[in-house]
Amino acid sequence: MNHWPLIRPSGDRAVLIEFENRIDPEINRQVRSLALTIEEEKTAGIEEVLPAFRTLMVTYDPLILDHEILQKNVRSWLDKAKNIHLPPGRVFALPTVYGGEHGPDLELVSGMTGLPAAEVVRIVSETKFLVYFVGFICGLVHLGGLSEKLGVPRLNTPRAFVPAGSVGMGGGQVTVLPTDLPSGFNYIGRTFVSLYDPKGFPPISFLAGDEIQFKSVTEEEALKARGKEAAEFA
Amino acid sequence: MKVFQVLNPGVLTTIQDFGRKGFMKYGTPVSGSADPFAAEVANLLVGNDPGAALLEVTLFRLELLVLGNLAIAVTGGDLTPTINKVPFPRWQSVRVRPGDRIAFRRRKTGFRAYLAVQGGVSAEEFLHSRSVFVRGLMGQPLRAETILSTEGEVTGDFQPRIIPPEMVPDYSKRSPLRVILGPQDYRFTAKGIETFLTSEYKVSTQADRMGYRLEGPKIEHVKGADIFSECIARGAIQVPGNGLPIILLWDAQVSGGYTKIANVISADLSTLAQVMPGEALRFEKVSLEEAHQALRRQKERLEEIRNILVDRKG
Repeated sequence: MNHWPLIRPSGDRAVLIEFENRIDPEINRQVRSLALTIEEEKTAGIEEVLPAFRTLMVTYDPLILDHEILQKNVRSWLDKAKNIHLPPGRVFALPTVYGGEHGPDLELVSGMTGLPAAEVVRIVSETKFLVYFVGFICGLVHLGGLSEKLGVPRLNTPRAFVPAGSVGMGGGQVTVLPTDLPSGFNYIGRTFVSLYDPKGFPPISFLAGDEIQFKSVTEEEALKARGKEAAEFA
Repeated sequence: MKVFQVLNPGVLTTIQDFGRKGFMKYGTPVSGSADPFAAEVANLLVGNDPGAALLEVTLFRLELLVLGNLAIAVTGGDLTPTINKVPFPRWQSVRVRPGDRIAFRRRKTGFRAYLAVQGGVSAEEFLHSRSVFVRGLMGQPLRAETILSTEGEVTGDFQPRIIPPEMVPDYSKRSPLRVILGPQDYRFTAKGIETFLTSEYKVSTQADRMGYRLEGPKIEHVKGADIFSECIARGAIQVPGNGLPIILLWDAQVSGGYTKIANVISADLSTLAQVMPGEALRFEKVSLEEAHQALRRQKERLEEIRNILVDRKG
């Protein structure tokens, strides 16, 4: 049996701290608690502190911070993290238009789940999805909290182009696209709030621990948010 | 001050510096010069800060019209740089005049060359860096007709600088890339690890600043290739279900859900930047201590070069 958490090198400039191997809000909370602890230490040589679902990667400069000292520090930071106060994340309510041209797969999801389209929209729009972490590219949010009733598979053939702001699901996961991207998810709605700004700081508004709600509004209402930053909806 | 007009943008030419550090938690990779050793030396040769913005030239066909009296230096792979069709020496500073044409004509060794100009190349900054990162909507590769500038005025009036020939890397020499196993090496069978460490892999045509897909013997997993998405270190070698490794590099996504068998050591990433599609690679396992020792040696080598160049400045 493994004894979590495990600390492994990930190349010569990063360590990976692994917690229990499942996607679970409580485990992700442990990840974020450790991240905050390490950020507050401001140790010389630590470059980036990167939470994911159940792991934390810490990148470092090995010519400034010795790897063995880092390993030892991580063990003491793990103890410290148990008692740290993790401030609550922010809640974003993003105006979202469902179905029609903005949600081309809503009827498909309705058909696969046997739920009326209105019920699919109700379930998704009422859920506050937890941001487990921000990653991939252009700050793609990795969200949790999709109802098991909506466990639809990904599309057989991914689309080459899905517009920014599209809200979709597949394989038990839900996401919102920060930029135009190819994707194999089933897209049921779209928000026009600007989610990624390469010229801004930060380039994206969300961080691990925040929550996002895709509030159902009319198309007219949704379009009013065009170009506005997500921070305005927190 | 205007320095170059792009006559032909070449296969791929991007502006790079040391990249944007500290933004991976916002889903933004570091990017930056693929061969930071060559880039830093090019900058030092023209009196710039080591991380000043310069041109990363891939393969050939780049052609520039010189618009001022400039000091330039070309390092990295040998892509046969010429001034008015006459080859000029690499790894030293060179003076050019208005009307000169700089061209990269033919690849001899390596894959990427660095062209630094005194004063550094001016470009829009995204998160404090001028490194072009196309997928992140942070700048674009050079295009024909583009005019490049430096921040301030430069005179080209410059004490020539050169580094001793024995300090120039030999890109035709190919030793195995050194790797640290993990973090998911336990997800591969003993046979899979052996395949990885003893086989020759060919860099496929799908090789760019994001990563290199490799072709060769399939690497056997214990069971499945998927993990819950986690952050990816630069140089990570992920092996998806088809058993063929992908080395994730400068502009790679910051997280992903495939098992990673090993990670190329930092000191060998400059070498990897000079490997081109179609060439063969091998991997050799080393310890973390050896990797850090190699990185220390590389840093010492750069310091030595810096000392030599600063002395020459007089």
